[in-house]
Amino acid sequence: MAFAGQIEALLQILAAGLLLGCLYGLMCAGLGLIFGIMRVINFAQGEFMMLAMYAGLTGVALLAPGRSWAFAVAMLVACVAAALFYGLGTLTHWALVSRVSGARAIGTADAGHTGQLILTLGLSLVLQNGGLMLFGSSPVSIPNDAAIRSWTLEFAEGDVMLFVNQARALSALMAVAAVVLTVLLMSRTGIGRQLRAVASNPIAALYMGVNVDRAFRTAFGIGLALTAVAGVCVATFYPFQAYTGFDFVIIMYAGVVLGGMGSVGGAFLGGLLIGLVQQLSTLVLPPQLQNTAVFVVFLAVLLIRPQGLFGRGVERA
Amino acid sequence: MTTFTRRGLIGGALAMPAIIHGTASAQTGVIKLALLTPLSGPFARQGELERLGAVLAVEDINRKGGIKALGGAKLDLAIADAGANVEQVTAAAQRLVADRELVAGMGAWASSFTLAATEVTERAKLPWVTLSWADSITERGFHYVIATSPPSSKIIPAALEPLLALAGKSAGKKPSTIACINDDTAVNQANMEPLRKGGFEKLGLKTVMDENFSVPLSDATPLIQRLRRARPDLVLLGTTATSDSRLLLQTLTEFGLGQGKVPVIAPSANWGTPEMLKNMGANYLEGVIGVAGNWTSKQQAALNQDLLQRAKEPWLIQDTLSNYGHVLLIADALERAGKADRDALMTALLATDTSEGPAKLFLGDRLKFEKTGRRANPVPAVFQWKNGKPLTVLPEADAEAELSWPRPS
Repeated sequence: MAFAGQIEALLQILAAGLLLGCLYGLMCAGLGLIFGIMRVINFAQGEFMMLAMYAGLTGVALLAPGRSWAFAVAMLVACVAAALFYGLGTLTHWALVSRVSGARAIGTADAGHTGQLILTLGLSLVLQNGGLMLFGSSPVSIPNDAAIRSWTLEFAEGDVMLFVNQARALSALMAVAAVVLTVLLMSRTGIGRQLRAVASNPIAALYMGVNVDRAFRTAFGIGLALTAVAGVCVATFYPFQAYTGFDFVIIMYAGVVLGGMGSVGGAFLGGLLIGLVQQLSTLVLPPQLQNTAVFVVFLAVLLIRPQGLFGRGVERA
Repeated sequence: MTTFTRRGLIGGALAMPAIIHGTASAQTGVIKLALLTPLSGPFARQGELERLGAVLAVEDINRKGGIKALGGAKLDLAIADAGANVEQVTAAAQRLVADRELVAGMGAWASSFTLAATEVTERAKLPWVTLSWADSITERGFHYVIATSPPSSKIIPAALEPLLALAGKSAGKKPSTIACINDDTAVNQANMEPLRKGGFEKLGLKTVMDENFSVPLSDATPLIQRLRRARPDLVLLGTTATSDSRLLLQTLTEFGLGQGKVPVIAPSANWGTPEMLKNMGANYLEGVIGVAGNWTSKQQAALNQDLLQRAKEPWLIQDTLSNYGHVLLIADALERAGKADRDALMTALLATDTSEGPAKLFLGDRLKFEKTGRRANPVPAVFQWKNGKPLTVLPEADAEAELSWPRPS
């Protein structure tokens, strides 16, 4: 019986880690894409995710006829949010980020990093406080039945039971689909080729006729679109408010660095690993030390592979 | 014979602005009070509810002619954001005490915040009124702190004792095992301390699980998985953030342990907020028992109705009620002190002994304080979710409904 209990705990926590890890992975993929191509550290990524969560909540409130349909509608809203946030990303890049990155930053002493840091940190604060003013301080989430329902799997004649939360499982599938599409976009399309060329060497790409600023704008838009999908998915089971982005942004950075900067797939796997470590650590450590365990693993990986698990080099992937 | 030295004269001259300021505010017809509460970060909603109570009380007092003993001086509320952590609270408290016109202050909601803020306000000799629970707030030998809520050590037994007695009668079997999941904030650890040190044993309960987590919780699965294997008769969920409360209850439900299958006792006011209803739905909250420092009373239905209409909230909870009461308490003490002086006000606050005025905003008969500043004979409020509303069930004199043993629906 005790053995069955241990097996059940292991399976349950493994499942929880995988499901959460897929969503962390999607968030990391969005951030990793922006960093890998533009070399811009976007500190406002968490706040853009928070905006997407509220967009999801609003969309579902307008479209869903009831709690039972709310999850399906939320997934549709996530796709619409991806398109909207792609637009918001390109607009933000055109209006703000392009002033301190891309062609304008080439040749500057610090490659525009100081300006980028101040700009994205400032943007993060504006979005956080703007969100608080606009949406209020009450924690909310997308009300839906899937968040409190699970599929139950029984093993060993019912001695071992596995509960798989429906909202988390379907959100994880959505996350995997979004990352697969992004990897295909990057590897099989002309836009992807341009983005990879710009990521590899923006000056050479410029000489080859690639519009570097437009490529950067596209990358920023895709990065935000991925984060928007993650935000709407998370909002189906996680209560959020204007400051929620901050809770995730550290995880995003850890995942991107762990996976290897510049690699979309690597960033996803970095996020997945963080989700697994965060949950599996509770088998041997008190739950208070979940994030400590994440950063111990993070430091250990960096000690052995400074370029991250799937990164090709520190300078440029 | 008085000897004037150069050093003494310079010191006196430097101290003059502070001395003048101390009385200037009352002379100009304004008495400044501070409210330090989280208005940003994960606890912003609770801070907003605190702000609401204080603002409404200041409005009411000023509309009724201000502080009569001070020539009708009006109250002025200086609101400061306590932020999301102890460092921000300390910085905000330091900025507040730089204002020498302040006569008293209130806040800072979470016990860990109040412990940090009062370290600063005590040095400034600023009378500070709080609803925070942790016993240590009034056990540090401070002279300028008033705590209106029951201490942590009395909060959980207040719900457990009557509930265990009731369980024996209505469920036929007295619960014998309990599982505890708490966040690691000062208040929840203070709540648990006496129970871990023999408190549960005295109640006839065996602890089958006792886990702590850090705020915010990313996923409650590992905790609820352990709880499921531990098979307790009761579960105690000590959370500070509404988002964590929601996540725990959601996962309990997902694992088939919600809706009364394992009775939930939650020693935190956030379990009775309208957000819990909005996010979880009435079905999943039915029967959940909460414990707080203050709640609504059937004896004050008219007052509550008036406040409700102006607050534009579906119901009032500890944070709004107590802060409304705190402003009334300070105003009452100012009337008795007859001057807007910090020491005189603190003496008057400690001498409070009334069943009228501010006492109406707190449960129990009288509002009176011990020498430590903690309320004498405080009465914890026990509420229970019934048909989509968290109703006071204990103490009986204030109860809006009867405490019932949660049954699986």
